Amino acid sequence: MSDTPAVSVNHLTKVFKGSLGKGAFRAVHDVSLTVKPGEVYGLIGPNGSGKSTTMKVILGLLNATEGDTRIFGIPSTEVASRRSVGFLPENPYFYKHLNGRETLHFYGKLCGMTGDHLKSRAEEMLALTGLEDAATRRVGGFSKGMLQRLGLAQALIHEPQLLVLDEPTAGVDPSGSRIIRDLIIEFRSRGITVLVTSHLLEQMQEVCDRVGIMAHGRMVREGRLDELIAVENQTEMVLENASPDLLAKINALVKAEGGGTRLLRSGHPRTTLERLFLEATNEPKKP
Amino acid sequence: MSEATQSSAAVNVAPVRFSPRRVWTLAYATMTQLMRMKILPFLLLFCVLVAAMGFGFSTINPEQQLSQFKTMSLGVLQVFSIVFGIVATALLLPKDLDDRTLYTILSKPVPRFDYLLGKLLGVLMLIASGLVIIDAVLSLILWLQQSMLFDAAVSQLHSEKQDTPEAVAQMREIVARQGLTWNLHWAVWAIFLKAAVVTTVALLLSCIASSTLFTIVIAFCITIIGHGHAMIREFVLQPNLSSASVRIASFLLAAICPDLAQFDVVDSVANGEVIPWTAVYEMTGIAALYMTVYLFVTHLVFVEKEL
Ligand SMILES: Nc1ncnc2c1ncn2[C@@H]1O[C@H](COP(=O)(O)OP(=O)(O)OP(=O)(O)O)[C@@H](O)[C@H]1O
Ligand SMILES: [Mg+2]
Repeated sequence: MSDTPAVSVNHLTKVFKGSLGKGAFRAVHDVSLTVKPGEVYGLIGPNGSGKSTTMKVILGLLNATEGDTRIFGIPSTEVASRRSVGFLPENPYFYKHLNGRETLHFYGKLCGMTGDHLKSRAEEMLALTGLEDAATRRVGGFSKGMLQRLGLAQALIHEPQLLVLDEPTAGVDPSGSRIIRDLIIEFRSRGITVLVTSHLLEQMQEVCDRVGIMAHGRMVREGRLDELIAVENQTEMVLENASPDLLAKINALVKAEGGGTRLLRSGHPRTTLERLFLEATNEPKKP
Repeated sequence: MSEATQSSAAVNVAPVRFSPRRVWTLAYATMTQLMRMKILPFLLLFCVLVAAMGFGFSTINPEQQLSQFKTMSLGVLQVFSIVFGIVATALLLPKDLDDRTLYTILSKPVPRFDYLLGKLLGVLMLIASGLVIIDAVLSLILWLQQSMLFDAAVSQLHSEKQDTPEAVAQMREIVARQGLTWNLHWAVWAIFLKAAVVTTVALLLSCIASSTLFTIVIAFCITIIGHGHAMIREFVLQPNLSSASVRIASFLLAAICPDLAQFDVVDSVANGEVIPWTAVYEMTGIAALYMTVYLFVTHLVFVEKEL
């Protein structure tokens, strides 16, 4: 059982048909990925690279043009595959006439939850996402970050085994996004699988076990995060308060060493995932 | 276990079954959502209008006055309920799509059929509750009018010194036949059935196009054509039809549009004719059949829909 991938995407291609057969657009091109149970998988890529589209196919909201996707071994085309999944779409929105608590009750009931169990779970989720104060306020008046938190709360309401989060920190303030990051780490410790996209690479680097980088609808890099960002034949030195003099000396030393040793660059260090991201996604577009 | 799961395409998992409780959750949310769209004031306005109408007619004779009142109020009620059914349905689905509420709902273990049925039931429940209220108001007005008119007629007979027991009994019978009878409730039921069929058609259209304007316009066209169903059928069946394509086109039209004239009982109710039980059963059956077929087609369209 534990060998069954939490999510498997097999040679997925998604073409959006334009109106009247014109302007068909290939948003996802032959993408394969596997998320093992219990790991945090980060999907990153520039805007429009097909991350959200891939997620929607995984959740059965869109049909795959080619290839297939499965959740815990069950094809996404079957409703049963969504029994144990919590999904937070990008820019989530809810019935604006309900308040925060009623919204959670609504989604809990859709998952077949009832009575006291549902009530206590809803309160728990409100507390977890810091929405206690907004529990009796209409969703119509929620701010962007509050909607995002409510989206996370509804995704968690039925204690899913897999979480699919599309930019969970978009629009959330720094402390809120830190809380979400910590939550993801806690989910992993409880054995919950997470598939997440985000443009905050620093945070992704902190939480992800594995990442896939998408560009132009294709998967351009995939693997364990630590392996991907380790560059075996390069060494990075981070100095504090180094004087220009010292830097010049180091430079001279490197030059004197000769052979294969070269100083590639110096300057302020960047997040390594960020560097990888820019490298991978700026490669020339394949036909 | 894991090997079998991965290698075989058919995984043995219990499918998510249809759940009345889930449908109810969706229907209730739909109903409250629509109630927020300020529908109650309209309902009140309608009641006031009808009441004003009921007492505003000049007295020609008691029979005609009651009959006129019923024709008018039931006619307006029919138009109101159809307009409401179409417009509400046309708004709901595109709104859920635009707001991406549909994403969060359908990413839960919710079969798409449950969602559709929930939406339809929500609209129908609201129409039904509105009609129940109005039915009560109408009954009250009719009953008040009936006794008022009877008293007036009796006092007139009295002044003409013609108030023999037979004449009074006859007058009572005439007024009662046009007054409050079960017929009124059956007429309201027929109004509900027609609105329900039209609402289901609107749901189908809205699934095909997910455009509010398209749904409203086409649903009204279909409603109008549906009332002339008999005419189309006659046209199709006439032997000397000029071209086959016209015949096929009208045949398709007849097949697509529901025969809404089946539910027109307002006239006979206004005439004080008794609607037999069998007619009520038949009407209900026809409506159920139409709705089942339309809902089935809607489901076929919606299951394949890209969100
Ligand atoms: N319903 C649709 N119809 C047509 N094209 C679409 C549709 N949905 C997405 N696309 C296109 O597919 C491409 C991928 O979109 P997607 O939303 O998956 O990007 P993304 O990687 O999530 O980007 P972002 O980081 O901005 O969220 C985009 O070019 C987008 O325009
Ligand atoms: Mg996206």
